[in-house]
Amino acid sequence: MVHIDNLTPGMVLSRNVCDRSGRMLLPAGAELTEKHFSIFRMWGVLEVEVAGDAIVEDAETAAPLSQEIDPELLAEARAEMERLFIYNDPEHPAIKELMRICTERRATRAA
Amino acid sequence: MLRKPQLSVEHMVEDVSTIHSLPLFYSQLSEAIDHPRSSIGDIAKIIAEDQGLTARILKLANSPLFGYFSKIDTITQAVTIIGVLQVRDLALALSVMDVFKGIPEDLVNMEQFWKHSIATGLASRLLATSQRESNLERFFVAGILHDVGRLVMYVKVPQLCLELLEQCRATGSLLHRAERERLGFDHAEVGCALLKRWKIPPRVAEPVGTHHDSRKGDQYPREGGILHFADVIAHALQIGNSGEVFVPELDQGVWDRLQISSFYLPTLVKQVDDTYEQTVSALFGGDDAAR
Repeated sequence: MVHIDNLTPGMVLSRNVCDRSGRMLLPAGAELTEKHFSIFRMWGVLEVEVAGDAIVEDAETAAPLSQEIDPELLAEARAEMERLFIYNDPEHPAIKELMRICTERRATRAA
Repeated sequence: MLRKPQLSVEHMVEDVSTIHSLPLFYSQLSEAIDHPRSSIGDIAKIIAEDQGLTARILKLANSPLFGYFSKIDTITQAVTIIGVLQVRDLALALSVMDVFKGIPEDLVNMEQFWKHSIATGLASRLLATSQRESNLERFFVAGILHDVGRLVMYVKVPQLCLELLEQCRATGSLLHRAERERLGFDHAEVGCALLKRWKIPPRVAEPVGTHHDSRKGDQYPREGGILHFADVIAHALQIGNSGEVFVPELDQGVWDRLQISSFYLPTLVKQVDDTYEQTVSALFGGDDAAR
């Protein structure tokens, strides 16, 4: 599954894309264009399956730690998140991801 | 420290419901909606009597939260497009925001309080969308009201609340747990009792009551779970504050039941951030919000 934010025009669907009620929006084999992305968003589709090695690419881009952020700010933000999440398990998948997002978000805003 | 066993959830909301009553018009509105022969025009007319509310509902309806392309400039249109129940739920949230005023600043900063509540409401609504729930506004409203029990406690037992806040600051403990240890109940239960007293439907009241303990709910476990996780997210984003200093502990059972991919979280956070400012301005906007 590739998240809609990581799709690029030209990718080819490996599986039909359906909306919440199961109505088909786009069949497998269709080549994606920008217009499709807004249609997907409109119908609440967040992930689609595409053919080829796009999946591997997606896994790599899933955790991009922006290099432009000052490492010092990032460390400060991380320390703050560790303090904030003290009552949660930092290895829990949801908590781990939330901490990652919020660390970057805080560091970016402090910059 | 003195334990006060005479304090109960019911005692907390006893006089609050008379001092802080929901505006009469909300019960008129509910009555009109429940009446089988009411028309959309009848309902719109009741809402339109409150100009401030009308302005804020229109501003909300035109905000990116709803994503309609054409302009909604009458309540009739809003009711038609958004739906009767949805407009009632929005009216409820807005009315409650008006009810609690004048609580001392050393207990709670109301602006911060509602900001945390709105962030929770937005996260709750977005989570519900991803769960393919219908009638999304009830999630938004439950989010806005989830900590309302704290306001009741600030009004009813201010000294005790101050002690609890100071105790948590000093020891670094979770406020909702401290409430429970000291009183035998927490703000979530107080909120639920207040909403029930105000005859707010259980689909909103129960999740408010269970947002720190999902095992308690029986009718609306999905709603309670979504609200619980939304609260965690709002704390993580550090938008506003209602007294709690830390991110409350995520209930593993809730997470398992929700079946949300953690890959959805970046999108969710982005959407909360994108809609937050406009939602705040719609809910707090002055008279210029009329358009």
